[in-house]
Amino acid sequence: MKAQESMPTTKVERSAKFVKTGIQIGGNYIKHYSKKIFNPALSRDELNEDNASDIYNSLSELKGSALKIAQMLSMDKNILPRAYVDKFTQSQYNAPPLSGPLIVRTFSKSFGKSPEKIFDKFNIKSTHAASIGQVHEAELNGKKLAVKIQYPGVGDSISSDLKLVKPFAFRLLGMSEKELNIYIKEVEERLLEETDYELEVRRSIEFSIACKQLENVVFPGYYPELSSNRIITMDWLEGQHLKEFLNTNPSQELKNKIGQALWDFYNFQQHELRAVHADPHPGNFLITKDEKLGVIDFGCIKEMPDDFYTPFFSLTSTDLFEDKAATIKAFRELEMILPNDTEAQIEFYYTAYKEMISLFAKPYTKATFDFSEPKFFEDLYGYGEKVAKMPEFKQARGVKHFIYINRTNFGLYNILHELKATVNTDTYKPHVKFG
Amino acid sequence: MATAAQIQKGYIDYVLTHDEKPKSVYSFAKKLKISEADFYAFYASFESIEKNIWFELTVETIEEIQKQELWAQYSAREKMLSFFYSYVELLKSHRSFIVYSLKSHQKRLSRPEVLASVKPIFENFAEQIINDGLESGELAERKFFSKRYKDALWVQYGFILNFWINDNSNGFEKTDEAIEKGIQVTFDLFQRSPIDNLFEYGKFLAQNGNLKAKMGL
Repeated sequence: MKAQESMPTTKVERSAKFVKTGIQIGGNYIKHYSKKIFNPALSRDELNEDNASDIYNSLSELKGSALKIAQMLSMDKNILPRAYVDKFTQSQYNAPPLSGPLIVRTFSKSFGKSPEKIFDKFNIKSTHAASIGQVHEAELNGKKLAVKIQYPGVGDSISSDLKLVKPFAFRLLGMSEKELNIYIKEVEERLLEETDYELEVRRSIEFSIACKQLENVVFPGYYPELSSNRIITMDWLEGQHLKEFLNTNPSQELKNKIGQALWDFYNFQQHELRAVHADPHPGNFLITKDEKLGVIDFGCIKEMPDDFYTPFFSLTSTDLFEDKAATIKAFRELEMILPNDTEAQIEFYYTAYKEMISLFAKPYTKATFDFSEPKFFEDLYGYGEKVAKMPEFKQARGVKHFIYINRTNFGLYNILHELKATVNTDTYKPHVKFG
Repeated sequence: MATAAQIQKGYIDYVLTHDEKPKSVYSFAKKLKISEADFYAFYASFESIEKNIWFELTVETIEEIQKQELWAQYSAREKMLSFFYSYVELLKSHRSFIVYSLKSHQKRLSRPEVLASVKPIFENFAEQIINDGLESGELAERKFFSKRYKDALWVQYGFILNFWINDNSNGFEKTDEAIEKGIQVTFDLFQRSPIDNLFEYGKFLAQNGNLKAKMGL
């Protein structure tokens, strides 16, 4: 009995959060398969749930860019099983706030003055967290303002965080490192742009002017003179977030109105501006008291070059699919079919991608589309899960632009689905023609 | 007649130009065109000039932050954060000298001698903040340990200073992170935590060792 007491029980402390998660996920698999021995009917849902919460826990402790990646993965419901998604969508609401003195320091670095000398009123306690910063309430000349402050060191940590995320991405998406690199690079570029608050202010102003003609979409005013590379000052928009809005049991008419505003906002950008607010996260929108859609974050903008725009939207919005040769040509331009593919592979990917894009383009094919329709989403998820299991799709395909464009459009579809809105989908059509 | 400020200025200029201290007080005084007696009227040695600079910078920071409007509203934790942010801001304008001073005196594993003048003021300041925190209940009163809280902060002081002189991020942003995270963690440890509860529970069980017997198990 004595021997038992002296057995080594100390566990090696693992400081690297990600190492820990990796081990936990491994553990979850062991747990899953050992349970499965006794209960063969056990579904993978519980395993997915376990994995998701472990990944989520590590990511939320890392904050900053990893949090952003969590949000990003959460958008791709088509790739990730549901359990991951539910956990990931929590990520925006959790992050420890900056201390008062650090806020004061950020202000004095930017403006040489403390916040209460700049504003008439400044609430040193933040009202909520944004993924790479936090938002404070302020007042100047009787106007209520929102002041967004970035966490220090976010930019520096993005590249290193992405390196840490990589092994998880391999596991989740089942891709090789080399293939994944072009995508990771694309993500890194966008994320670094997001840390440039001066750029964000410029873009916010540009986009709010460009989108002024859109009905039922409103933007806060921005104050470049009260903004810096770490601080953005804008008008405080009063309104409800999507969840709160839905809790008030809005009428179908109102939901359609908001849904239409969203649809117009995104499709106007995609097809008229060729650059799009690529962060359709519910946290970036507010529904105002006068029943308009408020857009509050222009951190992530994806520009679409012609060599992506034209082939992609020709596929979704013309009768290009009638012509097999032309379709394959477009797939080649988008690198969905690669130069070294064999005849059999070409045939396989042609069929698979045609099905995928037809599914994706469904809302575009009719003048109105009912996003409350669960069938459409079940088909989408179902297809996503099916594809995820196909060995042919272990290999990365498609140009890098797909990441953000897919994220944008699926994000949009998801919000519209949550709204259960029916929208006119022919308001801003792609500028492509076939022939 | 030279003044203390002139001598100090002349000394900083000398060490930054030559990257070492003057060979002797005699040669230094000659260079400044003052007499040795003038020098000794203010300073006992070169070392004391450096100590004095450190002393002044620290005192200036403490006086400065206590004048800020928000100071009175700050918790102990925020007061300490505020000190470090203002401190590195002030040190920034003397960075070359600070780096010289720390590096030239740095002996492995030991705190540079030049900081000897800072330690008592810093500890005094830290103790005040800690006592306020203990009184308001923000920090946990622990037998023996609460007296050592200031030592932990002095360790943080050394760490942050070292981090800062080796920091080459834009605007010393990494130092801001080091301060934010380091001080938060330190104060988390000063707060009442599950460890305290665990300790008390252990104490309770130890004092009631014959509990099993009492419960008839």
